[in-house]
Amino acid sequence: MTPSHRTGGLSRRHFALALPSALLASGAFGCAAPHQGTGRPGDPIVLTLLSHYASGELKKALRGPVDEWNATHDRVKVRTKAVEFTDLLTTFMVRQAAGQGADIIHPYCLWNGQLVRAGVLRPAPSEHAEEITRGYGTAAVGASSVGGEVYGYPTEVQTYALYYNKRLLREAGISGPPRTWRELEETAYRTAARDRYGNTLVQGFGLSTYDDSTTVGQTLALLNAAGGRFVSADGRSTAIDSPAGRAVLDLEHRLVVKGASAPGVNVYKAFQSGQVAMVVSAGWWTASLKAQMGKDYRDVGVAPVPVPEADDKRATLSTGFMLGVNTASDHPREAWEFLRWLNTEKVSAKSAEKGATATRMSSLQVSVGSLTGRADDMRTLLSEGGDPNLRPFLDALAYAVPEPNVPGAQQAKSLLRKNIEALWTGQQSVDEALRTIRRQVDQEVSRSW
Amino acid sequence: MVNTLTPETTERAHGPRSAGPAVNGRAQTRRRRHQAVVAYLFLAPALLFFAVFLILPLGFALLLSTSRWAGFDLGDIDPVGLDNFTGLFADGSTFLTPILTNTLLFALGTVALALAGSVLVATCIDNLRFQGLWRTLYFLPIVTTVVAVGNVWKYMYEPGGLVNGVLNALGLGSVAFLQDPDTALPSVVVVQAWASVGSAILILTAGLKSIPESYYEAAALDGAGPGTVFWKITLPLLRPSLLFVCITQFLTGLQSFALIIVMTKGGPGDATNVAALEMYRQAFSYGDWGTASAAAFVLFVVVLVVTLVQLWIFRRKGEDA
Repeated sequence: MTPSHRTGGLSRRHFALALPSALLASGAFGCAAPHQGTGRPGDPIVLTLLSHYASGELKKALRGPVDEWNATHDRVKVRTKAVEFTDLLTTFMVRQAAGQGADIIHPYCLWNGQLVRAGVLRPAPSEHAEEITRGYGTAAVGASSVGGEVYGYPTEVQTYALYYNKRLLREAGISGPPRTWRELEETAYRTAARDRYGNTLVQGFGLSTYDDSTTVGQTLALLNAAGGRFVSADGRSTAIDSPAGRAVLDLEHRLVVKGASAPGVNVYKAFQSGQVAMVVSAGWWTASLKAQMGKDYRDVGVAPVPVPEADDKRATLSTGFMLGVNTASDHPREAWEFLRWLNTEKVSAKSAEKGATATRMSSLQVSVGSLTGRADDMRTLLSEGGDPNLRPFLDALAYAVPEPNVPGAQQAKSLLRKNIEALWTGQQSVDEALRTIRRQVDQEVSRSW
Repeated sequence: MVNTLTPETTERAHGPRSAGPAVNGRAQTRRRRHQAVVAYLFLAPALLFFAVFLILPLGFALLLSTSRWAGFDLGDIDPVGLDNFTGLFADGSTFLTPILTNTLLFALGTVALALAGSVLVATCIDNLRFQGLWRTLYFLPIVTTVVAVGNVWKYMYEPGGLVNGVLNALGLGSVAFLQDPDTALPSVVVVQAWASVGSAILILTAGLKSIPESYYEAAALDGAGPGTVFWKITLPLLRPSLLFVCITQFLTGLQSFALIIVMTKGGPGDATNVAALEMYRQAFSYGDWGTASAAAFVLFVVVLVVTLVQLWIFRRKGEDA
């Protein structure tokens, strides 16, 4: 190396080291800070809220309270951003990595373990955690917590029940929804119909490969109803390889093999057009069925998920969303304050009796045909004139089992889905499916992060 | 190295005896240094581009492939050695079978179908009037988004869709094209080949145009039939174009996942899952950037090996890439 190289500023070696370092550092800083408004003194703080309330009723429903907040608060404003649910997790991940993470995020609780592990979610301050623990049901609080620590305000809580088409059951000479698995199978076989080319005209019991939530939700609701669990209590292994798990997979396998279920059919379209007699799904569906089926919605009934035997204890799956604050937010106190205002402050409930009150978020949820984790609000808001089909979902809040949200939960769910599909399409037997699920899911959920 | 040292050596040799050449040598060195600076300045934007978008990500991906990282905080990168690579090939892992196998089958099937189809169509077009119109028609899928192509074909493959409608009209039973693990991958391969045949036709048509007419005239004089002309003249002289189409289609096939995510999401089970889709899921859905990066390096090695093998095969047959 010549003297001129040593004294003439950056050497080539230093430059080679400095360039990637500078780029990495700029990336790191970029990752750190969500957009916070102009930053000029006196300008309001702008909090961004990223959710899946992207279209139709949901978008409009969220607009109401956010507009109200913005109209009544000068210093802190809230701006909403939305993507479709199927894009929500990847949007969180990509935006966070790009330094565009929102101050307030609205994750599906299944992802909480993963988001906490990645350092995206900020634990709720103690006063907020106390309010959440006090105001919400056990399943909702559990879904919003990771490792015993609360990370956000539960918003919608979804329980799973059995949707059935009253007309199709009536035409098959069946008077009411099944209460046991034996009745479920019998009803499925009697209502199913195919044409001479093998095309499904009516699925007796809808099993769908639409997405992870649809495929897995149906199976887990039945698993819970049979007294089983997907993941062990410590979250370190799967518990599906049990008599209950075997019974569920056996049931589904029989339904497919005997032609009562056609997993390739999109159940979200087929049920609405009267091509599915029964299907297990979550409460949010009532609102879209009502909107899309028009007068035919009167044929839709909802009943608790059937249990293996008539005297078995009821159980089903519950899933949920929550509103939490990003660790990268520069204004966490303001963000938590907005969430408290939205989720705990009681205001007059328009749809309920005169003088009745509920939180803004609870009113929002019920207005779009959904449920919240606040049992008191649900009782108030559904007191009169509500959709009777929502009642079984509300009742299920008392016995529903929260979906496990361990750090590898999304991957475990995807692995479960793949193996369920492999079972439904004849790639695996019940025994092979159970063995593979155990091996693959155990490997994932037991990883030490 | 030689160019740099030679003038200095000359300068040292003549320096003590003559000042003139030494001055000239210094001037030459200054000029060369100046030229080098200018050259580096001109190269700088391109080098910066490669550094930012190629070298740096490559190095970062290599770092991540030997680490565990959830995605956001650089301080949380946890070195784990080769764990991610061993995990990919561990007992029970689906990466080798069926994911990597599907990837190769998908690419191979696409190349075979697209190549055969494009050679056939390009040869036909070469003998037709309004060649521009035909080329445009076949090129249309290329300018259509993958999402649109995937969704249209998905509806066509559905149990009550167009394809099954035709089968039923012919008195045949319906086929669960995308729902049956045995037919799902071939069904997507057909769509990928159909979508990529347009660009192959363009390249092959250009190749056909470059074949001298005199060969065909000589063949006609010798009484060669159309089949002989095709196998003995057209196909051998098209080899450079075929090589290009083969390599580029194979690379695209090995890395593609958009059509699969639209049409099957990798299912049923893992029947249509491919490496690029798995990498995307590992990173952006599961937050496991280490496994995703390790899978990317494995795919990189596969792509490199396949490309080198293709080049070797074609070179043995007397063609340079």
